[in-house]
Amino acid sequence: MHWIALSPPEPELALWCWRALQFTPRVARLEEALLLEISVSQRLWRGPARLLRLLLRVRERSHAAVPPHGQGPSSLLALARLRLQQAGEVSAAAATAAADDLPLWTLSAARVHLDTLERVGCRNWGQLRALPRGGVARRFGAPLLQALDEAYGERPESHGWLTLPEGFDMKLELPATASSAPELMWTAQRLLQLLQAWLRARQLGVLALELEWTLDWRRLDGAPLPGQQQLQLRTAQPTQNMGHLRRLVSEQLARVTLAAPASQLRLRSLDTAPWGGASTRLLPEEQVQGERLHELLERLTVRLGPQQVRRVQTLADHRPEHMQRWLPAREPDPPYPLPGDSPAPDPREAFYPTWLLEQPLRLEVHHDQPQHGGPLRRLLRLYRIEAGWWEGQGPVLRDYFLAHSTLAGLVWIYRERPLDRRQAMGQARWFLQGLYA
Amino acid sequence: MNNKPLRMVPLPALPSRPDLWRGSDLALAGAPGWSTGHAELDAQLPGGGWPAAGLVELLQPQPTQHAWRLLLPALALRLQSRALAQTTGPADQGPVLLVGSPEPGMSPFGPALAAQGLPLERLLWVQVPEAHARLWACEQALRCADVAIVLAWLGPVRAEALRRLHLCAVEHGKPLFIFRSAAARQQASAAPLRLLLEGDAEALRVWVLKRRGPPLAQPLQLPAQGRGLAALLSAGRRGRAAALPQGLPPSTGHVHALDRAVAA
Repeated sequence: MHWIALSPPEPELALWCWRALQFTPRVARLEEALLLEISVSQRLWRGPARLLRLLLRVRERSHAAVPPHGQGPSSLLALARLRLQQAGEVSAAAATAAADDLPLWTLSAARVHLDTLERVGCRNWGQLRALPRGGVARRFGAPLLQALDEAYGERPESHGWLTLPEGFDMKLELPATASSAPELMWTAQRLLQLLQAWLRARQLGVLALELEWTLDWRRLDGAPLPGQQQLQLRTAQPTQNMGHLRRLVSEQLARVTLAAPASQLRLRSLDTAPWGGASTRLLPEEQVQGERLHELLERLTVRLGPQQVRRVQTLADHRPEHMQRWLPAREPDPPYPLPGDSPAPDPREAFYPTWLLEQPLRLEVHHDQPQHGGPLRRLLRLYRIEAGWWEGQGPVLRDYFLAHSTLAGLVWIYRERPLDRRQAMGQARWFLQGLYA
Repeated sequence: MNNKPLRMVPLPALPSRPDLWRGSDLALAGAPGWSTGHAELDAQLPGGGWPAAGLVELLQPQPTQHAWRLLLPALALRLQSRALAQTTGPADQGPVLLVGSPEPGMSPFGPALAAQGLPLERLLWVQVPEAHARLWACEQALRCADVAIVLAWLGPVRAEALRRLHLCAVEHGKPLFIFRSAAARQQASAAPLRLLLEGDAEALRVWVLKRRGPPLAQPLQLPAQGRGLAALLSAGRRGRAAALPQGLPPSTGHVHALDRAVAA
């Protein structure tokens, strides 16, 4: 058995706990300290010294101070050595102090009896252990002897091992009441750090998050306020990259207004997926530098709105305005089909204009001649369509023409035919729908 | 004093050496360009085509005309050949990103672009009314590793912003095409290549305003329409367009009577 005792500051306890779970499954809380039992996994990390360095993020050959920690063959011994270091002992001496020489105050079970023990001249663990067991048990009770046996490894210890929660859900107090959304960013960043530790320990990538802040006020101008406000974030591919999430959060927060000052911030993972690691290439020249496409689309979408970042989908219809549809580009792209997989092209496609007016432009008519910056010269009658009778607005009857305009070059226009043939053709309406570029 | 008139002495054919520069030479581009799909234009551009990275400015008196005619052959060549060939990098499989449009209320027509060889799965369009948001989107797209080409209609834009975009495009190795009005011709620009697109329905005249090489006095004449449309128009002029003209892709199955083009 090899135990490591750490005493992280209270607010970072969860972070350290999840961090420790990356290295060994046996992590327990014992009073103020966090204890790791590493005998099961130390070979994986190539020895306890290297594991400790990784755990404490101490660089090799650096002279930076190592955070206080205690090691020992039992949890109580490791904890006692940690306490001795924290009490200001010379760390080298404290870290390797023999069990018999440890002062009694480092053993929690002996703390209530310290005065009595002092009077019988018993100051360290060795002296206590030398006392007759029967007398000690009668005078101080069984728990002291049990603790001493556990500390010396003569009796099995039992701990409640810490586990990772199934979902991430953390709440932090804001350092100061926030009256605008960007002020939440600092705390959100700390929550994202915690999320990263949790994701790494569980080997997951996050797909959806919810940020929730608690409002301080119950009512505003007499109107009741909701207790919380939420913000949801989604990403197309599972990620552990907090840089990308941080940019998304800050973009979103920049657009949000708080209904009232907020006091608490909570981060919850809504959807996660197994994390397969970042894929890289064999040769260093082929390593991708920069953002990936889905990250770009997410950032553009978050700032500009989903309706502004679009991809096109073609539809089978005869009406040009229904031949294509612009969809938000957020969904991951299908794999690009190779040329040749696409269906045989429609021969009329060659006549389609490259720019389409989203709303066909009604043209004025003088002397049976449509006008668009001067009279339009009709070059060709292309085809006529009769479609859309299955929709509410009634059928669409159009004759398409290719015309020449002195203003805009070649244009694509149509004449709307009346449904009733008896109506005079002179009253037909003309529209401009496309431009050839 | 020697008052003899200067005589032009024809130089013997100079050896073609990389360290010998002639006044008529085009600059040796750092990276070879990619073909524009127009042989006349390729011959006049340094590197033999569009630059592999950096800003290309296209000035247009009429913003709705000629843009796709000039660029579509190159886009089709580049996107389709890379899909089949061994890929050289992630950017070659990525999309073409359009930012803005020449006029509000106007959208690219997918079926027409697909017919001229642009794979629609690789087309993305960012359309925002605010000019600064378009600039921002443009710069973000250039920074993305996957985007292949960026085409932008930015509206009036300042020279500093263009310089910034150019540097960003060079740094990330992406071609960026910006369409501007012809009024910008008098302004200085950081773009190493500036073209002016003029013409009408019959012809497209490309003036090379600025390139790394000697100035070009004559415009280049390019076809103003695609092959199918040009064939249709000439057939229409000859007044016998009852049958589909030559050079069109054959129709599959039977041709409906309504599908036939009829001379007006």
